[in-house]
Amino acid sequence: MAADRGVGFGSRGARAAGGPAHYREAVTRPRTLTDDLRDRSDEELAELLAQRPDLTAPVPGDLAALAARAASHASTVRALDGLDQRVLTVLEAVTLLPAPASVTALAELLGAPAATVSSAVDRLRRIALLWGSDDDLQLPAVIRDLARFPAGLGPPVADALLGVGAGRLAPLLAAWGLPAEPDPLRGLARVAAYLADPGALRDLLVELPADERQVLDALNSGVPVGLLNGAAGPIRLDPRDPPARRLLGRGLLVGRPDDTVVLPREVGLALRGGRPFPDLDLSPPEPGTEPVRARSVGSTAGGAATRFVALVGQLLEAWGDQPPPELRSGGLGVRELRRTAALLDLTEPEVALVLETAYAAGLLAPGSDPEAGWLPTPAYDRWRAGAPAQRWVVLAEAWLTMPRLPGLVGSRDDRDRPFPALSRDLDRPAAPTLRAAVLRLLGEVPTGRRATPTGVAALLSWRAPRGAGPERDLAVGSMLTEAEELGLTGLGALAEPGRLLAAGDPAAAAVALRPLLPAPLDHVLLQADLTAVAPGPLEPELAAALGAVASVESTGGATVYRFTETSVRRGLDAGYSAADISDLLRTRSRTPVPQPLSYLVEDVARRHGRIRVGTASAYLRCDDEALLAEVLASRRTTALRLRRLAPTVLAAVAATPQVLAVLRAAGFAPVQESLEGEVVLTRPARRRAADRAAPPRRGLPPAPRPELLRAAVRALRAGDRASAAVRRPVPAGALPRTGSSATLTTLRAAARDGRPVWIGYVNAQGSASSRVIQPTSVEGGYVVGYDSRHEQTRTFALHRITGVAEIDADPDEAGQAGEPEVTSALDG
Amino acid sequence: MSDGPLIVQSDKTLLLEVDHPLAAECRQAVAPFAELERAPEHVHTYRVTPLGLWNARAAGHDAEQVIDTLLRYSRYPVPHALLVDVAETMSRYGRLQLVNSPVHGLVLRSVDRAVLEEILRSRKVAPMLGNRLDAETVVVHPSERGHLKSALLKVGWPAEDLAGYVDGEAHAVALEQTGWSLRGYQQDAVTGFWAGGSGVVVLPCGAGKTIVGAAAMAQAQATTLILVTNTVSARQWKSELLKRTSLTEDEIGEYSGERKEIRPVTIATYQVMTTRKKGAFIHLDLFDARDWGLIIYDEVHLLPAPVFRFTADIQSRRRLGLTATLVREDGREGDVFSLIGPKRYDVPWKDIEAQGYIAPADCVEVRVTLTDAERLEYATAEAEDRYRVGATTMTKSRVVQRLVERHRGERTLVIGAYLDQLDRLGELLDAPVITGATKNSERERLYEEFRRGELTRLVVSKVANFSIDLPEASVAIQVSGTFGSRQEEAQRLGRILRPKAAGGSARFYTVVARDTLDQEYAAHRQRFLAEQGYAYTIVDADDVRTDG
Repeated sequence: MAADRGVGFGSRGARAAGGPAHYREAVTRPRTLTDDLRDRSDEELAELLAQRPDLTAPVPGDLAALAARAASHASTVRALDGLDQRVLTVLEAVTLLPAPASVTALAELLGAPAATVSSAVDRLRRIALLWGSDDDLQLPAVIRDLARFPAGLGPPVADALLGVGAGRLAPLLAAWGLPAEPDPLRGLARVAAYLADPGALRDLLVELPADERQVLDALNSGVPVGLLNGAAGPIRLDPRDPPARRLLGRGLLVGRPDDTVVLPREVGLALRGGRPFPDLDLSPPEPGTEPVRARSVGSTAGGAATRFVALVGQLLEAWGDQPPPELRSGGLGVRELRRTAALLDLTEPEVALVLETAYAAGLLAPGSDPEAGWLPTPAYDRWRAGAPAQRWVVLAEAWLTMPRLPGLVGSRDDRDRPFPALSRDLDRPAAPTLRAAVLRLLGEVPTGRRATPTGVAALLSWRAPRGAGPERDLAVGSMLTEAEELGLTGLGALAEPGRLLAAGDPAAAAVALRPLLPAPLDHVLLQADLTAVAPGPLEPELAAALGAVASVESTGGATVYRFTETSVRRGLDAGYSAADISDLLRTRSRTPVPQPLSYLVEDVARRHGRIRVGTASAYLRCDDEALLAEVLASRRTTALRLRRLAPTVLAAVAATPQVLAVLRAAGFAPVQESLEGEVVLTRPARRRAADRAAPPRRGLPPAPRPELLRAAVRALRAGDRASAAVRRPVPAGALPRTGSSATLTTLRAAARDGRPVWIGYVNAQGSASSRVIQPTSVEGGYVVGYDSRHEQTRTFALHRITGVAEIDADPDEAGQAGEPEVTSALDG
Repeated sequence: MSDGPLIVQSDKTLLLEVDHPLAAECRQAVAPFAELERAPEHVHTYRVTPLGLWNARAAGHDAEQVIDTLLRYSRYPVPHALLVDVAETMSRYGRLQLVNSPVHGLVLRSVDRAVLEEILRSRKVAPMLGNRLDAETVVVHPSERGHLKSALLKVGWPAEDLAGYVDGEAHAVALEQTGWSLRGYQQDAVTGFWAGGSGVVVLPCGAGKTIVGAAAMAQAQATTLILVTNTVSARQWKSELLKRTSLTEDEIGEYSGERKEIRPVTIATYQVMTTRKKGAFIHLDLFDARDWGLIIYDEVHLLPAPVFRFTADIQSRRRLGLTATLVREDGREGDVFSLIGPKRYDVPWKDIEAQGYIAPADCVEVRVTLTDAERLEYATAEAEDRYRVGATTMTKSRVVQRLVERHRGERTLVIGAYLDQLDRLGELLDAPVITGATKNSERERLYEEFRRGELTRLVVSKVANFSIDLPEASVAIQVSGTFGSRQEEAQRLGRILRPKAAGGSARFYTVVARDTLDQEYAAHRQRFLAEQGYAYTIVDADDVRTDG
């Protein structure tokens, strides 16, 4: 297709340097976008806001403000991002037609069925990128700016040659055998008229030498601008010149002062046989799908989900014991990443996904103190206590909404530095939108089939051509892999829990996942090589107990535990007795307990605790046992909490200075020993970062709920009426004043009918203001209403409302009825 | 969810539940591509490694079969990444092939140009290759055949060696199966080996590896070079060959420190092959002394590095490796794969035991509590002496004495590593001691007396670790060893696994000093056998009574 990426709307934010000159003479538009919006029904307005949620943040004051925002550059770019190839092509075609365009003209220009064009036009109209009737289509000016080279065509020759002096036009007129013309504007008109004749152009092109034709073709199949030194120099036709310069002489290219040449639109169209999109195909590409065993999809996804949840647990347990340091620039060092990858037996990108998901779910955070490193948060402890399906939902949701691309880890940035995991470098605000688009697409694949990664990428490129490219294809590729690892998909097809989660129903997703997870077991198999095999996931308390007395050797569908002296000792340290361990083994093993294992437990227990270690802050040493006995017996030393360790040694809980002081006060004569040899043992049980909110999930503004949309539309209408209400000049400071019962009645009626009203209000500081509110409830002495100026719902105390005035469409009527006078001048 | 016997772990191990009704069928399906790592009583562990997968490819299995097996028998969903990895790994084998071109001799041919370009740019591989003939083919220096295969394996593109073998000098060898016959698994081992061309056969000690060697010779019908660990072992090979085959005394030569005979069948020791004079190996010519049609490496897990190097140069000759444990403590399994060949046959010890070809064994670890004086000596010993101090205590010797007493009349081997300990035990037990210093003739005389039953007790050092055939030994008492060597433990147990004339099981004692390094090493040493399903019982020395 001629409308290549990089031209037309394909290139993001490419703004034309100057305005589109050739529409200067455009007829005055009969209507404005504001008028058009005003004529729309509430449902239509709600749909516009739903399709372009950025317009509701915040809700504009009135319809004029809405129209202005809808036609702004930023919002228009966002709206274009959501359009597919077909709609974008139609929009590009509109910019090629003189205003006002019509559906018929568009269909003719594109050579496409009117119905196809019409549906695209409808879509554009719904989102306010077009307005007006089918034969009077209007376009916001910003769209013309954005479509720099619509369909890859250059500007019309009249625009391209604008400002060229008569001296440079003369050789062109001569070359075509036209009469000379001293006035540049008239000369320009003559040139334009000549090129506007398709017959004349065709003749020119047919006779063109091959090398010149090649230059034209190149400019016609991409950006219609090329570089040429001295492009704006004198125009002449010399056969010894290079082809581009000869084309300048023929007037088929136009040189510009910035050393570029441009292919005029007329020439481009002629080269394409008169159609801007010569081989146009407006239908979406076939999604490449292949069959997949539907039964295996769920079980594979369930397996992956189990594994992923286990990996996050394993990772955070390990990091809780040995937190890796945080890089000064944020994130995790490459060496730490590798170490963790080895620990979990994963590749680096896989580990990055586990890390990033845990981080996005708020289970992992850098400790408050920069030296603390990356630590599990208290939220992790709560997460760990949840059911497996619930745990998975937390992780999968975090992945869906994280504005980051973990898939970048392992590749290098433009400066050839590796992307560190958990660093800001991975932030990509568009990621959640893209993920949602990918999952939506997977969700459309019929059961029993799966989309191929290339098919997904191709279809996405068609659905959202803006932003498409190798970088996005890579991101999509890693998202597909990640979805598989998380268990949102199984064998490449969207599984039921993933489908429900993507549809925004986490509770149902958890329910759907449960049957896919293997049932927890209550037993293990013990073997003489001192291993225990759990042939499936274990009940949490059994897993915890085994984890305490044996070390995990391999994980997956099953878990292999190995009993060693160290692991048994760890169990004893954790408070299990030899009898507890033997009981555990006997009751939870399907197989008899092997003799070497019971021997091991007893042997370790026999030696356990022969050395006792305790904490003392100070010690007292004295060769005279009697003297120590006296110290111990003294009532004045009880505060030191002395304990006899050996006949000649006492330990004190109190610190050395205090011990010295108390002993001296009690009449003894102690001296302090150097600190050498003193041992203070403390070990924090579990290290955790301070609880803090999960990192922000930006990028994907929540889809506005219908109630919100209705309220927003009401507010817009109210604002519109408010701004349309012509108010009589009133003395400054006048507020609506009505009696309290009249106030109440009017407010209640307004709340019932959903009408906006003007109120006068005195706030707690005593300052008075007036505002337009849309009351939603009036009770208990308070009015709750939407304040259209502040764009938020507020609560007003009834007794502070000085008066109410209904807003009338006809200002004269309001005046005649003697309604209170209103001003907005007071409100800040 | 299916209820298969197999559980696939994320570290690419496969757990097979032995008591499952499909276990036997599943074992058959898994064995070609996964290495049996542990075989304790309930759950066997197989490991899927690139080597294993390439082995399977070499044996004609494809990725489809492997994946199908995993999916069919797996109890839980198999991680997709693992399946992809399997397919990817297996597809790497055979993209490069070594073939004989009628015009250019040995060439490396690639069916995938990108791979050839990659390896041509590898600094390790490129020097072994000659001229490029066309886009897919490049000449290989014939002498580099083995080195090239080794190097290609290391860069992850194992070559399929289709260049074939030289037949060697023909020599008639036949098995004489009178009064005995080739066992099923031995026949399977030979068939597996011959079909693959070269490779390794793994059989437990006492399962008749010598006979597999003899049968391979009968298959090859060619002159054969046999490399063994030591002279005694060389003589045992010789007598076994005389007994089992049509070969006569004159056809078998011994090439050792004592004799240098080169005959159609020559048995050489690793020691003599690695003897150096002025830095040069002086006996490596033996490899070229005849046009050998078959080379047999006994105890391939001990193959010394120089022999590896030379083996690389004789890749056109058929090679058979024999071992009980393909556990190399130096981790050179990859070299065995590429230079000798892939594993062609493997069978769990307990399977052979179940067939009655090796005796069942009771393994007992006897824990000895040291006296206070000994504990003090141990506690204050230098770190490098600690194991020796712990392992050679007098208390242990007394326990050994009680054990020997208990098995009075049964033929008993006492095996240890420290000479002074062995000498002391010899005195205590009134038994002859065989160490490295004992002359070969003296050794053979003692072994002979032991075999005939004139002698029931022998104290031996590690010279008896391997290839000593003492069929009637039924009790072995291990008092010290080469630290935590797993294969040494297996070899020592192997000394008493020959089926006994009277039937019954063998006894294998390890006497260990409690709370010392001795105990730690013992635990490590036992891992291989425990993983083969031998359950150790641990008893306190005080419970050992002489009547028993």
